[in-house]
Amino acid sequence: MATGRTWQHERRLGYLFVLPATLMLVAVLIFPAFITLKVSVTPEGGSGWNLTLIHYQNAFRDPVLLRTFKNTFAFVAWSLVGHFVLGLGLALALNQALPGQTFFRLIALVPWTIPDVVAGIIFRWVLNPIFGCLNPLLHAIFPGFPAEFQWLSSPTLAFPSVIFANVWRGYPLVMVMLLAGLMAIPRELYEAAEVDGAGRVKRFLHVTLPGLSTIILIALALDMVWEFRRFALVLAMTGGGPGTLTEVLSTLVYKSYFQFFTFEYASAMAILMSVVLFVLSLPYIVLVGREQ
Amino acid sequence: MNGAAAGSARRERRLEAVASYSLLVLAALYALFPIAWMLSTSFKSEAEALSLPVRWIPKQPTLSAYVEMWTLRPFGTYFYNSIVVSGVTALLSTALGALAGYGFSRFQFRFRTTLMAGFLATQMISGVLVIGPYFQILAAVELYNTLTGLIIAYVTICLPFAAWMSKGYFDSIPKELDEAGLVDGASRFQIFLRIIMPIALPGTVATLLFAFLLAWQDLLWALCLISIDEKRTVTLGVAFAVGEFVVKWPMLTAASLIGSLPTILLYLFLQRFYVEGLARGAVKG
Repeated sequence: MATGRTWQHERRLGYLFVLPATLMLVAVLIFPAFITLKVSVTPEGGSGWNLTLIHYQNAFRDPVLLRTFKNTFAFVAWSLVGHFVLGLGLALALNQALPGQTFFRLIALVPWTIPDVVAGIIFRWVLNPIFGCLNPLLHAIFPGFPAEFQWLSSPTLAFPSVIFANVWRGYPLVMVMLLAGLMAIPRELYEAAEVDGAGRVKRFLHVTLPGLSTIILIALALDMVWEFRRFALVLAMTGGGPGTLTEVLSTLVYKSYFQFFTFEYASAMAILMSVVLFVLSLPYIVLVGREQ
Repeated sequence: MNGAAAGSARRERRLEAVASYSLLVLAALYALFPIAWMLSTSFKSEAEALSLPVRWIPKQPTLSAYVEMWTLRPFGTYFYNSIVVSGVTALLSTALGALAGYGFSRFQFRFRTTLMAGFLATQMISGVLVIGPYFQILAAVELYNTLTGLIIAYVTICLPFAAWMSKGYFDSIPKELDEAGLVDGASRFQIFLRIIMPIALPGTVATLLFAFLLAWQDLLWALCLISIDEKRTVTLGVAFAVGEFVVKWPMLTAASLIGSLPTILLYLFLQRFYVEGLARGAVKG
């Protein structure tokens, strides 16, 4: 089959099959990414190849950007903690084949089916200080609770409120991946451990966790990439406010570009954001690369 | 001794079940209470939504919010746009992704693995990094404010996933089928279309679903690429309704619920399938 001519022909055919997808990725993602890089080193309102690093210098001195980076890191970290704790707990509970398991799994998946914007709006309405449902609910459980608690306009509670909403929105995906990982652990391993006299905790530490470690890493790495870019939930829920207390990088770059039209500075911020995300996910990339 | 051990094991198991159920019930409450609140609000009149004390069950349930979203607001148009965009995105990205997946699965060409890694790497690109220039390009070729411009973006975003997923499926289909086709004188494209695709069809469900949901749920791209009301998608329509000076909460919650309905139903009907595909892809790395 693989005589010289047909092999050459086959090879060219291979390129042909992957060509449309490659062209689209280049045109829509890769080429614009380079344009952004170029714009980020162009003087404001300028064009051509008269390059400058002024926007990066400004960026490193910009307290709003610094604050937004801190917010984004905290947003990602707390979201990941919430997703992992809730996701692992539920995955373990759902893996026991208890009666009603399918029913609970379907319910636990529901937040995942809600678009980000809608999730933001839901929580804005839930947390409405006067007409929302959370304040009366808390007031009913804890009678001492203030009646018109200002969740989203409070400087201390706006950020945790956004995390609360984002944990709600994002835990199902982590749960589903961990559940798939749990199901893949062979039952014999548990039986062998039980024969060896290993208790519940020991079995969890020596069978479950090692069997799950790869998928935990993958789930958290993917989740980190997603949360780092989370946009619509924050925009719909707080718009970044009060002030810049809940601003994240996506919303900041979007506003600078499409609302304040500071294209060059927005591009520099987008590049910095991407570099940081790349560095953060480097361990994951190396890990996946090594496994293949 | 043995009986005592069995008894303690049984007690332990029961304790475990109780703990599991408690966690599941608490999580179910957490998952559902915001949605229950939306549902409740959507059946209220505006006056009742803004009256105290706050009620979980509407005193005078009404469907007026579900009527208003179509009459006061062009949610019909928004739905039409979302269905067109998501449907075309699902079909196109699955088709082009399958084409690429077949190329990766069946041919040995130079830069093959590099290209595959490159496909995967594009998934790391944030929307806000590329959307400005993409917007400028669309404006230059007069595709700004068109569903076409939006579809091209969504299809591209879905392509890496579609290509990798379909490559996985094609790898599991024996190559002898292709060779038999070649012997019969079929071209590679005919083999792909007539022999391999029909077998791989069940495998495309996950890709179709992924692309449809991505397009349906996105806000960022629609927000930046559409500025006229006639071309808005559902998520955009909902986002603009919340930005207004006076928010009509019953109508907004009704629109949000109806806007989430397609994704809720798709997920719940197909979740088993989707989850398995996802897990297989993830476990494989």
